[in-house]
Amino acid sequence: MIQFHHVSLEYPVTRTLALDDVNLHIKKGEFVYLVGHSGAGKSSFMSLVLKRSLPSKGEVYVAGEPLRRFRGGRTAMHRRRIGMIFQDNQLLPHLSSADNVAFALRVTGVPRREWDERVSGALKLVGLDHKKHALPVQLSQGEQQRVAIARAIVSEPPLLLADEPTGNLDPENSRDILKVLQNVNLRGTTVVVATHARDLVETFRHRTLTLRRGRLVRDDPYGGYAL
Amino acid sequence: MTYHLRQAWLAMRGNLTATLATLTTMVLALVMLGFVVLLTLNVDRALSQLESQVEVAAFLRDGADTERILSSIQDLPQVREATVVRKDAVLAEMQRDYPYVREAAELAGNPFPDTLRVRVARVADTTTVAGAVRKLDGVESVEYGAGYVERAARVLDAVRVAGYVLVALLLAGTLFNILNAVRVAMYARRAEINVMRLLGATRGFIRLPYLIEGLLLGVLGAALAGALLVPGYEALASRLTVLVPSLPMLQDRAVLAQLVGTLAGLGVLVGLVGSVVASGRYLRELE
Repeated sequence: MIQFHHVSLEYPVTRTLALDDVNLHIKKGEFVYLVGHSGAGKSSFMSLVLKRSLPSKGEVYVAGEPLRRFRGGRTAMHRRRIGMIFQDNQLLPHLSSADNVAFALRVTGVPRREWDERVSGALKLVGLDHKKHALPVQLSQGEQQRVAIARAIVSEPPLLLADEPTGNLDPENSRDILKVLQNVNLRGTTVVVATHARDLVETFRHRTLTLRRGRLVRDDPYGGYAL
Repeated sequence: MTYHLRQAWLAMRGNLTATLATLTTMVLALVMLGFVVLLTLNVDRALSQLESQVEVAAFLRDGADTERILSSIQDLPQVREATVVRKDAVLAEMQRDYPYVREAAELAGNPFPDTLRVRVARVADTTTVAGAVRKLDGVESVEYGAGYVERAARVLDAVRVAGYVLVALLLAGTLFNILNAVRVAMYARRAEINVMRLLGATRGFIRLPYLIEGLLLGVLGAALAGALLVPGYEALASRLTVLVPSLPMLQDRAVLAQLVGTLAGLGVLVGLVGSVVASGRYLRELE
């Protein structure tokens, strides 16, 4: 699903080497943790997969396609195949839960007649169907994050990226979010979670990639947190 | 489409100051442009009328061979019409226009000579024809009034150029205002735009509300400009027609409608160009 081939990423203004000669391969249907300290390169990894930035060296492949060749509309189509979850959830404050989820369908041109069923299904999967009319401000942090997950999966993308999805949550809510992500993975979606939540990585064991100062220093197929 | 229209309306309402500033400069620019065009059309009409009245008057010596002079002049290709007015007819005309001439004529007799009156096809040929007339045997002196027409045409050209420069500056100001308004609107919704991009919205989808905003500003600006220009001009034209009946003011509704249509097209064009450039540039900066 995702392949990094000798990928380096240097930010031109600060001359910071965010990723340094990274090689990895994440297969379709896998659940993978990406761990490392702040600044280790986790968000840069996400940014490259989303094609928000291009590698200074090497090539990134998603579903076998090199992202460097994508232009304009193809980048948008590429992003439609990826669900993205952020630490700060990035819900639109003036829209209800259902409308936030439907927003993903609206911007990708899904016919309106399909919205209700798909939004309802996604909210059910994250256990929030009963709060579909609530605004983000009326939800707890954990609930907001679950709405963000529903928005990310409503288009049924084959790949789900989560950048510190439990960063703002208490341990109980964090575990709930991980369970939801595992459920999504069980439906066949490839899930990549960037995190430094040691207890979660230790509790819910999956393949774990460890980054340190931009280098991939460990690839443990059985999981476990070791920086 | 309803969604995009609503977003455009929200963007305009959310940045009311920028929207009003853009609208004001656009209305000003379009009204100015309309007035410059109407001024030009009217002065062109007045000049044409003046040109049609320009004539070369040759005062003949007593005993001049009027038939020969007349036939020589009529042979010139630039001449549209030539007549000889006998001195008695000239006196009668003068007495009609200036009653005191009657008393002068009673005291000193008819002071006017036979006069050859020549009308030219184009006002530019007046000098050439006047020169040809002056060379004819029996011609005492020649007068023609082309000079003031040429001067008026030069003044009009200067006014027209100044008007168009002013309009160009105002249109550029409008364009910059639209660039700024769209940029402010996009900046205010940057979080939403960012989410849209990550969800896979195309550039066209993200830009559409701002293109609609530019279009609406153009249409609204042109409508307001038309609503100010047409009644304003008609009131001015009817007053001037009363004050100066000889002034051939343009009052053709079809021409006015065509002018308003052109202004509307220009307003829409400026609005669209501004929003296309601003939204494209903002999205490029985000990437």
